Amino acid sequence: MTTQTETRPVRRHSRRPRGGSSRWGTLGRALPWLGPTLVLIAGVVFFPAGYMAWTSFRDLSQFGVDNGPAGLDNYTRLLEFTALSRVLTNTVVWVVGVVVVTVLISLGLAQFLDKAFPGRRLVRLAIIIPWAASVVMTTTVVYYGLDPFYGIINAFFVDIGLLDRPYGFTRNAVPAFLTAMGIAVFVSLPFTTYTLLAGLQTIPTDVREAAQMDGAGSWATYRRIILPLLRPALAVATIINIINVFNSLPILQVITGSIPGYNADTTTTLIFKFIRADRQIDTASALSVVNFLIVLAVILVYLRVVRPMRED
Amino acid sequence: MRRLVSLAAASVAMGLTLTACGFGGDDDGGDGGDGGEGGSTSLDLLVPQYSDGTTALWEEIIASFEEDNPDITVNLEVQSWDNINDVIRTKVQAGEAPDILNIDAFSGFAKDDLLYPAEDVVSSETMDDFQESFIENASLDGTVYGLPMIASARALFYNQDVLTQAGITEPPATWDDLLAAATAVSELGTGVFGYGMPLGSEEAQAETSIWTFGGGGSWTAGDTITVDTPENLAAVEFMKTMIDAGATQPDPGATDRTPMLDVFVQGQIAMAVGLPPTIGQIEERNPELNYGIAPVPTQDGSPVTLGVADHLMAFRNDDDKQEAIRAFLDHFFSTDVYLSFVDTEGFLPTTMSGAEGTANAERFADFLEVLPEAQFYPSTNEAWAATQGALQSLVGQIQTQDAASVLQQIQASADNA
Repeated sequence: MTTQTETRPVRRHSRRPRGGSSRWGTLGRALPWLGPTLVLIAGVVFFPAGYMAWTSFRDLSQFGVDNGPAGLDNYTRLLEFTALSRVLTNTVVWVVGVVVVTVLISLGLAQFLDKAFPGRRLVRLAIIIPWAASVVMTTTVVYYGLDPFYGIINAFFVDIGLLDRPYGFTRNAVPAFLTAMGIAVFVSLPFTTYTLLAGLQTIPTDVREAAQMDGAGSWATYRRIILPLLRPALAVATIINIINVFNSLPILQVITGSIPGYNADTTTTLIFKFIRADRQIDTASALSVVNFLIVLAVILVYLRVVRPMRED
Repeated sequence: MRRLVSLAAASVAMGLTLTACGFGGDDDGGDGGDGGEGGSTSLDLLVPQYSDGTTALWEEIIASFEEDNPDITVNLEVQSWDNINDVIRTKVQAGEAPDILNIDAFSGFAKDDLLYPAEDVVSSETMDDFQESFIENASLDGTVYGLPMIASARALFYNQDVLTQAGITEPPATWDDLLAAATAVSELGTGVFGYGMPLGSEEAQAETSIWTFGGGGSWTAGDTITVDTPENLAAVEFMKTMIDAGATQPDPGATDRTPMLDVFVQGQIAMAVGLPPTIGQIEERNPELNYGIAPVPTQDGSPVTLGVADHLMAFRNDDDKQEAIRAFLDHFFSTDVYLSFVDTEGFLPTTMSGAEGTANAERFADFLEVLPEAQFYPSTNEAWAATQGALQSLVGQIQTQDAASVLQQIQASADNA
């Protein structure tokens, strides 16, 4: 009897402090295991990001020697940059265009690959290939193919009579930018398709069957049942693509790198030009900070408006 | 458990030290093992890749040096021209500059007070052997910082067969001749283009300089960079005339030099400005090409060419390395070693003994002849690097824009630097 009355309060008693101290206790015990990861994250993420933000307020010589604080000079110089509006427009076109087209094509491909048909395994394999090849390599192949002097794609267009003479697809801002967008879609497809395919396979067949029983057509089933259930997978695919495409340098660098002016630049390639051509490491840092804020804002807006993570 | 904790702590501490080293900024030595004990010194040497044979060539030079100086080791790092500017910038920023660097421009480093004056790192015999024009081009405010290492000049390469076919008997000497000859070739309708004008980002500053120098223009007046001048504008406007007349290959604004010279070698461009190594490329890739070399056409026909000199420079990292650096540089510039480098890479020598001894005297006669008329980039002006960058990324716009406004944009970048 006494034991019982005693144990109860003790138990209840011990529970509370445990809740508090055990959290710290758990953390303390987990720390040695988490430690290396935390050090790594701090070292490769937070430190460089912080250092970048710091340099954006410094006056750096073209060889990186620190000449003291610069206040907001770097940001002012950036805002006064005349081609900025064109570059920002390009960035929007680049990100929205590539991500939307990639997701739309991937939705179709994923649906196709979800069906059973002979040779499906081979087709699935074929779609991974652009993923396995290096982006620079893929891009370079297309770049050479489109070369007006010795490109086979150009020669092919001339041979079949589509063009009178080779056209400089990679030598003019707009066609080169569109070409780069096409390649960006091509290399983004595997990841997106597979993410969506994985999402499709988590949808139980009885849900679809139930919809059919209720008389829903295949389009209505897709729109009302499949697509909402695909929402989490779609969210992951979209966010990762936005970040990836926004920060992508190699494709534009290879395809549009030799084009004069800023008509084919995004903010990311402009950072690169600030460093390489203009030798302004500090302005480039300021633009990097702006770039970082833009991508953060885009993701927040996306999460707010589309609310892809909601469960209903 | 305890061991794990201490291990984690140790790795944290190590991580912090490493970061501290990398971003210290001041060169407080970092690893102390380099200098002192036992009199053994190691030198870091950073060089660009001129050709496929560059690495082997340097390894040979280093091996012969280390044989003579067993207490000095030289660590070679070879980078492509595309990357070397980024690499050196990162190294300087991290306080890990090499001891000796081979690159085109030295003035930025000199302005940041990172370099030894040349006379402190080579013997007076070596110093006196350099040709005067190159030494001038290697000085900043009266002090020589760069050691002129190799030189290059430009000349007009022309396809003899195509010119004959177009009824041109002599290579053009003036801009008007060039325009007429190039237009005549383009009008043949054989798919061969008259003049190759590479204004893509690779080396647009070179092509532009050839034209502006040829029109009596210059990139500097005193200490200021002058891009937007009447002479330069006239030259760039003539370039635009060439483009508009269809005398050039299509889209010159986005054509890079190296791939364009390949097209010349293949015989699809009738005339293009080339360099000494272009001769070797023709021999290797299309020995059948019937070509000639002539001075670059200028506005009035008087010879001018663009000279380029690359430099060796020594960074002041540790004062106890100065002797070792001097030993290495003197070894490099000793006539035999120097000529083995210059001749193998196919460039023009910058020393007097080299000019006498070079095995390529006959082969490069066309270039050696115009060398006294060479004008250089104003690479001692610290705003030049940014100007060059602006020329590379902007001048090609003359294909679609007004020449004057393009020059104004470039001038603005130069003023900003």
